[in-house]
Amino acid sequence: MLGFRALKTVTAAALLLGAGVVSASADATSSIQARQACMKANGAVMAVAVPIVKGEKPFDKAALDAAFAKEKEACAGWADWWGDDTKPGGATETWAKEEVWTDKAGFEAAGAAYGKAATAVAAAADEASFKAAFPALGASCQGCHEKFRRPKG
Amino acid sequence: MLSKRNITVLALLTALGLVALWLLSVPRGLTLADLPQHQPDVANGEILYHAAGCWSCHKPGTDLKDVDPNLPAGGFPLKTPVGTFYPPNLTPDPATGLGTWSDLDFVNAVQRGVSPAGANLIPAFPYTSYAHMRVEDVLDIKAYLATLPAIDSPARSAEIPFPALLRRGVGLWKWIGLDTTPWEPDPVQSASWNRGSYLVNGPGHCAECHTPRNVFMALDTSQALAGGPHPEGEGRVPSLRGLIERGRYKDAKDIASALQFGEMLGYDKLSSGGMGQVQRNIAKLPEADIQAIGEYLASLK
Repeated sequence: MLGFRALKTVTAAALLLGAGVVSASADATSSIQARQACMKANGAVMAVAVPIVKGEKPFDKAALDAAFAKEKEACAGWADWWGDDTKPGGATETWAKEEVWTDKAGFEAAGAAYGKAATAVAAAADEASFKAAFPALGASCQGCHEKFRRPKG
Repeated sequence: MLSKRNITVLALLTALGLVALWLLSVPRGLTLADLPQHQPDVANGEILYHAAGCWSCHKPGTDLKDVDPNLPAGGFPLKTPVGTFYPPNLTPDPATGLGTWSDLDFVNAVQRGVSPAGANLIPAFPYTSYAHMRVEDVLDIKAYLATLPAIDSPARSAEIPFPALLRRGVGLWKWIGLDTTPWEPDPVQSASWNRGSYLVNGPGHCAECHTPRNVFMALDTSQALAGGPHPEGEGRVPSLRGLIERGRYKDAKDIASALQFGEMLGYDKLSSGGMGQVQRNIAKLPEADIQAIGEYLASLK
Protein backbone atom coordinates (compact mmCIF):
# COMPACT_ATOMS: atom_id res chain seq x y z
CA MET A 1 0.00 0.00 0.00
CA LEU A 2 1.10 3.52 -0.61
CA GLY A 3 2.12 5.52 2.41
CA PHE A 4 0.76 9.02 3.00
CA ARG A 5 4.06 10.57 1.84
CA ALA A 6 4.09 8.55 -1.37
CA LEU A 7 0.48 9.46 -2.03
CA LYS A 8 1.31 13.13 -1.57
CA THR A 9 4.22 12.84 -4.01
CA VAL A 10 2.10 11.07 -6.59
CA THR A 11 -0.66 13.65 -6.25
CA ALA A 12 1.79 16.50 -6.58
CA ALA A 13 3.36 14.88 -9.63
CA ALA A 14 -0.06 14.35 -11.21
CA LEU A 15 -0.98 17.97 -10.54
CA LEU A 16 2.26 19.16 -12.04
CA LEU A 17 1.80 16.93 -15.05
CA GLY A 18 -1.76 18.17 -15.47
CA ALA A 19 -0.59 21.77 -15.21
CA GLY A 20 2.10 20.99 -17.76
CA VAL A 21 -0.44 19.59 -20.22
CA VAL A 22 -2.75 22.55 -19.67
CA SER A 23 0.04 25.06 -20.17
CA ALA A 24 1.28 23.27 -23.31
CA SER A 25 -2.17 23.39 -24.94
CA ALA A 26 -2.62 26.98 -23.79
CA ASP A 27 0.67 27.72 -25.52
CA ALA A 28 -0.52 26.06 -28.70
CA THR A 29 -3.78 27.97 -28.54
CA SER A 30 -2.06 31.30 -28.03
CA SER A 31 0.34 30.56 -30.90
CA ILE A 32 -2.57 29.80 -33.23
CA GLN A 33 -4.43 32.90 -32.05
CA ALA A 34 -1.32 35.01 -32.60
CA ARG A 35 -1.00 33.64 -36.16
CA GLN A 36 -4.61 34.48 -36.84
CA ALA A 37 -4.24 37.99 -35.37
CA CYS A 38 -1.24 38.56 -37.65
CA MET A 39 -3.28 37.44 -40.67
CA LYS A 40 -6.09 39.81 -39.62
CA ALA A 41 -3.55 42.64 -39.52
CA ASN A 42 -2.41 41.64 -43.02
CA GLY A 43 -6.06 41.82 -44.05
CA ALA A 44 -6.29 45.30 -42.56
CA VAL A 45 -3.34 46.39 -44.73
CA MET A 46 -5.19 45.00 -47.76
CA ALA A 47 -8.34 46.88 -46.77
CA VAL A 48 -6.39 50.14 -46.99
CA ALA A 49 -4.24 49.20 -49.99
CA VAL A 50 -6.71 47.57 -52.41
CA PRO A 51 -9.06 50.57 -52.88
CA ILE A 52 -5.95 52.62 -53.75
CA VAL A 53 -4.77 50.00 -56.26
CA LYS A 54 -8.28 49.90 -57.78
CA GLY A 55 -8.30 53.68 -58.03
CA GLU A 56 -11.33 53.97 -55.75
CA LYS A 57 -9.40 55.99 -53.15
CA PRO A 58 -6.48 58.42 -53.37
CA PHE A 59 -2.98 57.31 -52.37
CA ASP A 60 -2.83 57.79 -48.57
CA LYS A 61 0.69 57.29 -47.25
CA ALA A 62 -0.30 57.97 -43.62
CA ALA A 63 -3.09 55.37 -43.61
CA LEU A 64 -0.78 52.80 -45.24
CA ASP A 65 2.01 53.51 -42.73
CA ALA A 66 -0.42 53.08 -39.84
CA ALA A 67 -1.73 49.76 -41.18
CA PHE A 68 1.78 48.45 -41.82
CA ALA A 69 2.90 49.50 -38.32
CA LYS A 70 0.03 47.55 -36.75
CA GLU A 71 0.83 44.57 -38.96
CA LYS A 72 4.48 44.65 -37.90
CA GLU A 73 3.44 44.65 -34.26
CA ALA A 74 0.86 41.87 -34.67
CA CYS A 75 3.27 39.64 -36.59
CA ALA A 76 6.39 40.07 -34.42
CA GLY A 77 7.23 36.56 -33.21
CA TRP A 78 5.78 34.85 -36.33
CA ALA A 79 8.65 32.34 -36.55
CA ASP A 80 7.98 31.09 -32.99
CA TRP A 81 4.30 30.26 -33.52
CA TRP A 82 4.66 27.02 -35.48
CA GLY A 83 5.46 24.47 -32.76
CA ASP A 84 4.59 20.82 -33.43
CA ASP A 85 1.66 21.13 -31.00
CA THR A 86 0.03 23.70 -33.31
CA LYS A 87 -0.49 21.31 -36.23
CA PRO A 88 -3.97 20.70 -37.63
CA GLY A 89 -6.05 18.21 -35.68
CA GLY A 90 -5.22 19.66 -32.25
CA ALA A 91 -7.59 21.14 -29.69
CA THR A 92 -7.61 24.57 -31.35
CA GLU A 93 -8.79 24.67 -34.94
CA THR A 94 -6.25 25.87 -37.47
CA TRP A 95 -6.47 26.21 -41.24
CA ALA A 96 -2.76 25.63 -41.64
CA LYS A 97 -1.94 22.53 -43.67
CA GLU A 98 0.44 19.72 -42.68
CA GLU A 99 2.74 21.01 -45.43
CA VAL A 100 3.82 23.85 -43.11
CA TRP A 101 5.66 21.19 -41.11
CA THR A 102 6.52 18.71 -43.88
CA ASP A 103 7.90 21.41 -46.23
CA LYS A 104 9.55 23.78 -43.77
CA ALA A 105 11.94 25.20 -46.39
CA GLY A 106 9.05 25.97 -48.75
CA PHE A 107 7.06 27.59 -45.97
CA GLU A 108 9.98 29.75 -44.90
CA ALA A 109 10.65 30.75 -48.53
CA ALA A 110 6.98 31.77 -48.92
CA GLY A 111 7.24 33.85 -45.74
CA ALA A 112 10.45 35.48 -46.99
CA ALA A 113 8.79 36.32 -50.33
CA TYR A 114 5.96 38.00 -48.45
CA GLY A 115 8.40 39.93 -46.23
CA LYS A 116 10.34 41.22 -49.23
CA ALA A 117 7.19 42.24 -51.16
CA ALA A 118 5.61 43.88 -48.10
CA THR A 119 8.78 45.87 -47.39
CA ALA A 120 8.79 47.17 -50.97
CA VAL A 121 5.11 48.19 -50.79
CA ALA A 122 5.55 49.82 -47.38
CA ALA A 123 8.54 51.78 -48.67
CA ALA A 124 6.71 53.13 -51.73
CA ALA A 125 6.62 56.92 -51.38
CA ASP A 126 4.20 57.72 -54.19
CA GLU A 127 1.21 56.24 -55.97
CA ALA A 128 3.10 55.03 -59.05
CA SER A 129 5.75 53.07 -57.15
CA PHE A 130 3.08 51.76 -54.75
CA LYS A 131 0.97 50.42 -57.63
CA ALA A 132 4.05 48.93 -59.28
CA ALA A 133 5.09 47.11 -56.10
CA PHE A 134 1.66 45.83 -55.10
CA PRO A 135 1.15 42.85 -57.49
CA ALA A 136 4.20 41.07 -56.05
CA LEU A 137 2.65 41.39 -52.59
CA GLY A 138 -0.64 39.86 -53.76
CA ALA A 139 1.25 37.07 -55.52
CA SER A 140 3.18 36.29 -52.34
CA CYS A 141 -0.08 36.01 -50.35
CA GLN A 142 -1.53 33.68 -52.99
CA GLY A 143 1.68 31.64 -53.26
CA CYS A 144 1.56 30.84 -49.55
CA HIS A 145 -2.21 30.33 -49.27
CA GLU A 146 -2.24 27.90 -52.20
CA LYS A 147 0.27 25.56 -50.64
CA PHE A 148 -0.13 25.99 -46.92
CA ARG A 149 -3.76 26.88 -46.11
CA ARG A 150 -6.86 24.67 -46.28
CA PRO A 151 -10.14 26.07 -47.67
CA LYS A 152 -12.57 27.04 -44.90
CA GLY A 153 -15.83 26.31 -46.72
CA MET B 1 -28.91 -27.82 -47.26
CA LEU B 2 -28.59 -26.98 -50.93
CA SER B 3 -29.69 -29.64 -53.36
CA LYS B 4 -27.79 -30.28 -56.58
CA ARG B 5 -30.62 -28.61 -58.46
CA ASN B 6 -30.45 -25.49 -56.30
CA ILE B 7 -26.70 -25.24 -56.81
CA THR B 8 -27.20 -25.43 -60.58
CA VAL B 9 -29.83 -22.67 -60.45
CA LEU B 10 -27.58 -20.53 -58.24
CA ALA B 11 -24.61 -21.00 -60.57
CA LEU B 12 -26.74 -20.09 -63.58
CA LEU B 13 -28.08 -16.97 -61.87
CA THR B 14 -24.57 -15.89 -60.86
CA ALA B 15 -23.33 -16.41 -64.41
CA LEU B 16 -26.29 -14.44 -65.74
CA GLY B 17 -25.58 -11.65 -63.25
CA LEU B 18 -21.93 -11.49 -64.27
CA VAL B 19 -22.87 -11.31 -67.94
CA ALA B 20 -25.33 -8.53 -67.15
CA LEU B 21 -22.66 -6.62 -65.18
CA TRP B 22 -20.21 -7.10 -68.05
CA LEU B 23 -22.70 -5.79 -70.59
CA LEU B 24 -23.76 -2.89 -68.37
CA SER B 25 -20.14 -1.84 -67.86
CA VAL B 26 -19.28 -1.80 -71.58
CA PRO B 27 -17.97 1.68 -72.48
CA ARG B 28 -20.52 3.58 -74.54
CA GLY B 29 -19.39 6.33 -76.86
CA LEU B 30 -20.77 8.50 -79.61
CA THR B 31 -20.61 7.56 -83.29
CA LEU B 32 -19.54 9.59 -86.33
CA ALA B 33 -23.20 10.37 -87.01
CA ASP B 34 -23.31 12.31 -83.70
CA LEU B 35 -20.64 14.78 -84.85
CA PRO B 36 -21.85 18.01 -86.50
CA GLN B 37 -20.34 19.51 -89.65
CA HIS B 38 -18.06 22.10 -88.12
CA GLN B 39 -15.36 24.51 -89.23
CA PRO B 40 -13.06 24.68 -86.17
CA ASP B 41 -12.46 28.07 -84.56
CA VAL B 42 -9.01 28.04 -82.93
CA ALA B 43 -9.53 31.33 -81.06
CA ASN B 44 -12.73 30.00 -79.47
CA GLY B 45 -10.88 26.78 -78.70
CA GLU B 46 -8.23 28.68 -76.78
CA ILE B 47 -10.89 30.40 -74.65
CA LEU B 48 -12.65 27.11 -73.92
CA TYR B 49 -9.29 25.43 -73.18
CA HIS B 50 -8.74 27.96 -70.39
CA ALA B 51 -12.36 27.83 -69.22
CA ALA B 52 -12.09 24.04 -68.99
CA GLY B 53 -8.88 24.34 -66.96
CA CYS B 54 -7.16 21.63 -69.06
CA TRP B 55 -3.64 22.75 -68.16
CA SER B 56 -4.16 22.46 -64.41
CA CYS B 57 -4.22 18.67 -64.56
CA HIS B 58 -2.30 18.12 -67.80
CA LYS B 59 0.68 20.34 -66.91
CA PRO B 60 4.15 18.92 -67.58
CA GLY B 61 5.70 16.50 -65.12
CA THR B 62 8.74 17.68 -63.19
CA ASP B 63 10.91 15.29 -65.26
CA LEU B 64 10.19 17.35 -68.44
CA LYS B 65 12.82 19.94 -67.58
CA ASP B 66 13.25 21.65 -70.96
CA VAL B 67 9.54 21.81 -71.74
CA ASP B 68 7.64 25.13 -71.60
CA PRO B 69 5.75 24.75 -68.30
CA ASN B 70 2.68 26.39 -69.87
CA LEU B 71 2.16 23.50 -72.30
CA PRO B 72 -0.29 20.69 -71.44
CA ALA B 73 2.41 18.04 -71.95
CA GLY B 74 1.10 15.84 -69.14
CA GLY B 75 2.84 13.78 -66.51
CA PHE B 76 2.31 15.84 -63.38
CA PRO B 77 0.95 13.62 -60.59
CA LEU B 78 -2.75 13.98 -59.76
CA LYS B 79 -3.60 12.51 -56.38
CA THR B 80 -7.14 11.15 -56.02
CA PRO B 81 -8.91 8.96 -53.45
CA VAL B 82 -8.34 5.86 -55.65
CA GLY B 83 -4.65 6.50 -56.34
CA THR B 84 -2.23 8.70 -58.25
CA PHE B 85 -2.79 9.44 -61.93
CA TYR B 86 -0.47 11.08 -64.43
CA PRO B 87 -2.81 12.91 -66.83
CA PRO B 88 -1.64 12.38 -70.42
CA ASN B 89 0.03 14.59 -73.00
CA LEU B 90 -2.42 16.87 -74.86
CA THR B 91 0.15 18.28 -77.32
CA PRO B 92 -0.03 17.04 -80.95
CA ASP B 93 2.93 14.62 -80.71
CA PRO B 94 1.86 11.62 -82.84
CA ALA B 95 3.52 8.97 -80.66
CA THR B 96 2.80 10.22 -77.14
CA GLY B 97 0.19 12.96 -77.56
CA LEU B 98 -3.05 13.56 -79.44
CA GLY B 99 -1.42 13.71 -82.89
CA THR B 100 -3.23 10.69 -84.30
CA TRP B 101 -6.54 11.18 -82.50
CA SER B 102 -9.64 11.64 -84.67
CA ASP B 103 -12.34 14.18 -83.81
CA LEU B 104 -14.51 11.29 -82.64
CA ASP B 105 -11.72 9.95 -80.39
CA PHE B 106 -11.41 13.37 -78.77
CA VAL B 107 -15.14 13.98 -78.30
CA ASN B 108 -15.64 10.50 -76.84
CA ALA B 109 -12.83 10.99 -74.35
CA VAL B 110 -13.91 14.50 -73.32
CA GLN B 111 -17.69 14.03 -73.31
CA ARG B 112 -18.24 10.31 -72.64
CA GLY B 113 -15.11 9.24 -70.76
CA VAL B 114 -14.19 6.59 -73.33
CA SER B 115 -10.60 6.24 -74.58
CA PRO B 116 -9.78 5.63 -78.28
CA ALA B 117 -9.00 2.03 -77.30
CA GLY B 118 -12.51 1.75 -75.87
CA ALA B 119 -11.71 1.77 -72.15
CA ASN B 120 -13.63 3.71 -69.52
CA LEU B 121 -11.71 6.74 -68.27
CA ILE B 122 -11.61 7.44 -64.53
CA PRO B 123 -13.89 10.40 -63.71
CA ALA B 124 -11.08 12.36 -62.03
CA PHE B 125 -11.15 13.59 -65.65
CA PRO B 126 -14.32 15.71 -65.40
CA TYR B 127 -16.09 14.43 -68.52
CA THR B 128 -19.20 14.33 -66.35
CA SER B 129 -19.30 18.15 -66.72
CA TYR B 130 -17.76 18.36 -70.21
CA ALA B 131 -20.63 16.08 -71.36
CA HIS B 132 -22.89 19.15 -71.14
CA MET B 133 -20.73 21.19 -73.53
CA ARG B 134 -21.53 22.02 -77.14
CA VAL B 135 -19.73 19.49 -79.33
CA GLU B 136 -18.53 22.38 -81.51
CA ASP B 137 -16.70 23.90 -78.54
CA VAL B 138 -15.02 20.56 -77.82
CA LEU B 139 -13.88 20.33 -81.45
CA ASP B 140 -12.55 23.89 -81.20
CA ILE B 141 -10.45 22.89 -78.17
CA LYS B 142 -9.03 20.04 -80.22
CA ALA B 143 -8.20 22.46 -83.04
CA TYR B 144 -6.46 24.78 -80.57
CA LEU B 145 -4.44 21.91 -79.05
CA ALA B 146 -3.30 20.98 -82.57
CA THR B 147 -1.63 24.40 -82.88
CA LEU B 148 0.66 23.79 -79.86
CA PRO B 149 4.23 22.54 -80.22
CA ALA B 150 4.43 18.73 -80.13
CA ILE B 151 6.17 17.47 -77.01
CA ASP B 152 7.51 13.95 -76.55
CA SER B 153 6.00 12.98 -73.18
CA PRO B 154 5.31 9.25 -72.89
CA ALA B 155 2.35 8.03 -70.81
CA ARG B 156 3.12 7.10 -67.21
CA SER B 157 1.22 4.26 -65.53
CA ALA B 158 -1.34 5.26 -62.94
CA GLU B 159 -0.70 4.03 -59.43
CA ILE B 160 -4.11 2.51 -58.76
CA PRO B 161 -5.23 -0.88 -57.47
CA PHE B 162 -6.89 -3.29 -59.97
CA PRO B 163 -6.99 -0.81 -62.89
CA ALA B 164 -8.87 -3.13 -65.27
CA LEU B 165 -11.57 -3.92 -62.70
CA LEU B 166 -11.77 -0.25 -61.69
CA ARG B 167 -12.38 0.78 -65.32
CA ARG B 168 -15.20 -1.78 -65.67
CA GLY B 169 -16.59 -0.47 -62.38
CA VAL B 170 -16.58 3.04 -63.85
CA GLY B 171 -18.72 1.64 -66.69
CA LEU B 172 -21.37 0.63 -64.13
CA TRP B 173 -20.99 3.92 -62.27
CA LYS B 174 -21.66 5.90 -65.46
CA TRP B 175 -25.27 4.66 -65.41
CA ILE B 176 -25.87 6.89 -62.40
CA GLY B 177 -22.89 9.25 -62.44
CA LEU B 178 -22.80 10.41 -66.07
CA ASP B 179 -25.57 12.75 -67.20
CA THR B 180 -25.11 13.52 -70.89
CA THR B 181 -27.91 16.11 -71.16
CA PRO B 182 -26.60 19.05 -73.23
CA TRP B 183 -26.60 22.41 -71.48
CA GLU B 184 -29.73 24.45 -72.29
CA PRO B 185 -30.08 28.24 -72.07
CA ASP B 186 -32.76 29.76 -69.84
CA PRO B 187 -34.78 32.03 -72.19
CA VAL B 188 -35.92 34.20 -69.27
CA GLN B 189 -32.34 35.21 -68.46
CA SER B 190 -29.94 37.58 -70.23
CA ALA B 191 -27.43 36.43 -72.81
CA SER B 192 -24.54 37.07 -70.43
CA TRP B 193 -26.23 35.16 -67.58
CA ASN B 194 -26.62 32.22 -69.96
CA ARG B 195 -22.99 32.51 -71.04
CA GLY B 196 -22.00 32.39 -67.36
CA SER B 197 -24.27 29.41 -66.73
CA TYR B 198 -22.72 27.56 -69.67
CA LEU B 199 -19.15 28.31 -68.60
CA VAL B 200 -19.82 27.29 -64.97
CA ASN B 201 -21.82 24.12 -65.67
CA GLY B 202 -20.07 22.91 -68.82
CA PRO B 203 -16.37 23.60 -69.41
CA GLY B 204 -15.73 25.24 -66.01
CA HIS B 205 -16.80 21.99 -64.26
CA CYS B 206 -17.28 23.92 -61.00
CA ALA B 207 -19.77 21.28 -59.80
CA GLU B 208 -17.06 18.61 -59.62
CA CYS B 209 -15.81 20.21 -56.39
CA HIS B 210 -18.55 22.65 -55.37
CA THR B 211 -21.48 20.20 -55.56
CA PRO B 212 -21.54 17.50 -52.87
CA ARG B 213 -21.71 13.83 -53.89
CA ASN B 214 -24.22 11.19 -52.81
CA VAL B 215 -23.45 7.66 -51.57
CA PHE B 216 -22.80 6.55 -55.17
CA MET B 217 -20.17 9.30 -55.60
CA ALA B 218 -22.48 10.92 -58.16
CA LEU B 219 -23.12 14.68 -57.98
CA ASP B 220 -26.11 15.44 -55.75
CA THR B 221 -27.90 17.82 -58.13
CA SER B 222 -30.48 18.71 -55.47
CA GLN B 223 -27.60 20.57 -53.80
CA ALA B 224 -26.01 21.98 -56.94
CA LEU B 225 -22.98 24.18 -56.14
CA ALA B 226 -23.89 24.18 -52.43
CA GLY B 227 -20.38 23.21 -51.27
CA GLY B 228 -19.16 20.10 -49.51
CA PRO B 229 -16.12 18.17 -48.36
CA HIS B 230 -12.97 18.80 -50.38
CA PRO B 231 -12.35 15.91 -52.82
CA GLU B 232 -8.66 15.81 -51.88
CA GLY B 233 -9.45 16.05 -48.18
CA GLU B 234 -8.24 19.62 -47.73
CA GLY B 235 -11.01 21.00 -45.56
CA ARG B 236 -14.29 22.20 -47.07
CA VAL B 237 -15.22 23.53 -50.48
CA PRO B 238 -17.38 26.64 -50.12
CA SER B 239 -20.92 26.96 -51.40
CA LEU B 240 -21.37 29.14 -54.48
CA ARG B 241 -24.95 29.89 -53.45
CA GLY B 242 -25.80 33.15 -51.75
CA LEU B 243 -22.33 34.62 -52.22
CA ILE B 244 -23.82 38.14 -52.01
CA GLU B 245 -26.40 37.38 -49.30
CA ARG B 246 -23.73 35.80 -47.08
CA GLY B 247 -21.52 38.85 -47.51
CA ARG B 248 -18.72 37.01 -49.32
CA TYR B 249 -18.84 39.51 -52.19
CA LYS B 250 -20.56 42.85 -52.77
CA ASP B 251 -22.12 42.12 -56.16
CA ALA B 252 -21.66 40.34 -59.49
CA LYS B 253 -18.87 42.75 -60.45
CA ASP B 254 -17.05 42.02 -57.20
CA ILE B 255 -17.19 38.24 -57.89
CA ALA B 256 -15.86 38.83 -61.40
CA SER B 257 -13.08 41.02 -60.02
CA ALA B 258 -12.14 38.28 -57.53
CA LEU B 259 -11.97 35.70 -60.35
CA GLN B 260 -10.01 38.03 -62.61
CA PHE B 261 -7.43 39.27 -60.10
CA GLY B 262 -7.43 36.94 -57.07
CA GLU B 263 -5.01 38.08 -54.41
CA MET B 264 -3.49 40.67 -56.76
CA LEU B 265 -6.42 42.71 -55.47
CA GLY B 266 -6.52 41.14 -52.02
CA TYR B 267 -9.27 38.57 -52.65
CA ASP B 268 -7.82 35.97 -50.31
CA LYS B 269 -10.57 33.34 -50.38
CA LEU B 270 -9.88 31.75 -53.75
CA SER B 271 -6.32 30.55 -53.35
CA SER B 272 -6.67 27.42 -51.25
CA GLY B 273 -7.66 23.88 -52.16
CA GLY B 274 -6.68 24.17 -55.83
CA MET B 275 -8.79 27.29 -56.49
CA GLY B 276 -5.67 29.39 -57.12
CA GLN B 277 -5.04 27.48 -60.34
CA VAL B 278 -8.70 27.77 -61.32
CA GLN B 279 -8.54 31.53 -60.76
CA ARG B 280 -5.43 31.88 -62.93
CA ASN B 281 -7.18 29.94 -65.72
CA ILE B 282 -10.30 32.09 -65.50
CA ALA B 283 -8.15 35.24 -65.55
CA LYS B 284 -7.16 34.27 -69.12
CA LEU B 285 -10.78 34.50 -70.37
CA PRO B 286 -12.14 37.60 -72.12
CA GLU B 287 -13.39 40.09 -69.54
CA ALA B 288 -16.99 39.75 -70.79
CA ASP B 289 -16.88 36.01 -69.99
CA ILE B 290 -15.57 36.65 -66.48
CA GLN B 291 -18.34 39.22 -65.92
CA ALA B 292 -20.85 36.63 -67.22
CA ILE B 293 -19.63 34.08 -64.66
CA GLY B 294 -19.98 36.74 -61.95
CA GLU B 295 -23.52 37.56 -63.08
CA TYR B 296 -24.55 33.89 -63.06
CA LEU B 297 -22.95 33.08 -59.70
CA ALA B 298 -24.45 36.19 -58.06
CA SER B 299 -27.91 34.94 -59.06
CA LEU B 300 -27.57 31.58 -57.24
CA LYS B 301 -29.60 31.72 -54.04
